[in-house]
Amino acid sequence: MENLHSPSAQLIRKLQWIWMIGFILLVLGIITWFIHLMRTAIWLGDVPSAAIGIPVVAIPIFLALASVVFYVFWGLAVRGRGQ
Amino acid sequence: MVDHKDAHEDILLAPIAHTGPGFYWTVAGLSVFILWGAIAYLVQFYYGLGVTGLMQPVSWGFYVTNFVFFIGISHAGTLISAILRLSRAEWRRPITRMAEVITAMVLFIGAGQILVDLGRPDRILNVILHGRYQSPLLWDATSISAYLTASLTYLYLPMIPDIAILRDRLGKWKLFYSVLALGWTGTEAQQRVLNRAIAIMCVIVIPVAISVHSVVSFVFSMTLQPMWHSTIFGPYFVVGAIFSGIAALIVAMIIFRKTYGLEPYLKPVHFRYLGQLLLVMSLLWFYFTFAEYLTGYYGAEPEEMKVFWAKFSGPFWPYFWAMVLCNLFIPLACLVRLGRHTVGKVLAASLAIIVGMWLERFIIVIPTLSFPRLPFPHTVYTPTWVEMGEFAGSLALFALFYLLFTKVFPIISIWEIREGREEGVKEVEERIKSYLPDEIKGTA
Repeated sequence: MENLHSPSAQLIRKLQWIWMIGFILLVLGIITWFIHLMRTAIWLGDVPSAAIGIPVVAIPIFLALASVVFYVFWGLAVRGRGQ
Repeated sequence: MVDHKDAHEDILLAPIAHTGPGFYWTVAGLSVFILWGAIAYLVQFYYGLGVTGLMQPVSWGFYVTNFVFFIGISHAGTLISAILRLSRAEWRRPITRMAEVITAMVLFIGAGQILVDLGRPDRILNVILHGRYQSPLLWDATSISAYLTASLTYLYLPMIPDIAILRDRLGKWKLFYSVLALGWTGTEAQQRVLNRAIAIMCVIVIPVAISVHSVVSFVFSMTLQPMWHSTIFGPYFVVGAIFSGIAALIVAMIIFRKTYGLEPYLKPVHFRYLGQLLLVMSLLWFYFTFAEYLTGYYGAEPEEMKVFWAKFSGPFWPYFWAMVLCNLFIPLACLVRLGRHTVGKVLAASLAIIVGMWLERFIIVIPTLSFPRLPFPHTVYTPTWVEMGEFAGSLALFALFYLLFTKVFPIISIWEIREGREEGVKEVEERIKSYLPDEIKGTA
């Protein structure tokens, strides 16, 4: 089995963290976009009901997706590796 | 003695380990169409949308037809795969990966149609910065972004054990596979985490997939245009999407079965089950089409009737009746009796359905815009070589993406096949016993 502290193992771990953080940033970016549109609609009084209703449904979906991916990442790459 | 585990792995890893001349010929052939699409796009970018057949009042033509068609195809994967996983249908094992890949790839192509339709792609920034949730187009952008993220996640998670096999067995791209494998070693704890995550994703992805095509239909049905303003458009579009999705999945299965020698995995029984599903969807599609057109006809609202007759016997009759032929009569003829030549019959039905469902999208989008409620002069839309090129290029790009995927990842899930052989058989036996009444003691 490959040594967990070898340079290549450390590089792999770093890249895995970058990949995970990249995914989380993508999800946060999309959520920020929803919030921006919602805030603009409320500010302009431009159908705020739709502008609130749709992101209220969509944001939890994105949070759930990010949670699932992070759960797998933690379970396999962080805790799983330790075990 | 031959190690069967390794023998299966060898067969399924062969397309990644070895590349024959057929691959390069296929890439070259697809590149010709992609080049046609690229030239068409550059011409459109330089001269504007005037080089297309689009005009007033037909401002949506091939591009929006293709958008709805491709998004529909995307339902092949995630939805079918998630339903089969949740219902623990054991025959799903060699199919799910192929289905999930279709979804992920075709969603990019579908979303790309909107960029092409914009004429000026920089205008997408207006949607990001100043989008208005009053518009169903923005509902689309929201639901498609959720579906794309969910589909990519749902494709990636079940691939992790296979990526670990690639990391351990393949000599190339070790760093790439090691990063994506997330340190998978196949321990019980890791398996538990992965199974739980896949189960959660199955539950999330089904409503998201249904919402996507419902929202695509809302782009039409929220308007007051004749033959668009319909309450059943949501389920009608979802049914059509699953219908075309299964057909696309079958075609992909048959191509890769033949090309990569996957006959031992994709057996006639898989095609029989999918064929039966296709038959049910064909009848369901006909039911929705009949209900939709009968309601319009019975109401006999003058503006509606103009569009209705334009489809039935007017300038769009060849497309309309070709759609009925491809989506109902050919599937019925091919799929009612699947005794012999199952694969050939299912392939013929699937190809007809793909054509028929594209025509259905065309028949929904174009006639209504050609005969709008507002007093525009009636016009007939004719696509130019630019739109044809974009369509051909998009199809070729999808095929190329799919092909490249099969050269990097196994197209059939290795670990799920192994799990089926080692645990699935026993689990199914126990499950069947649990359905049956217990034996009564004392009887012979």
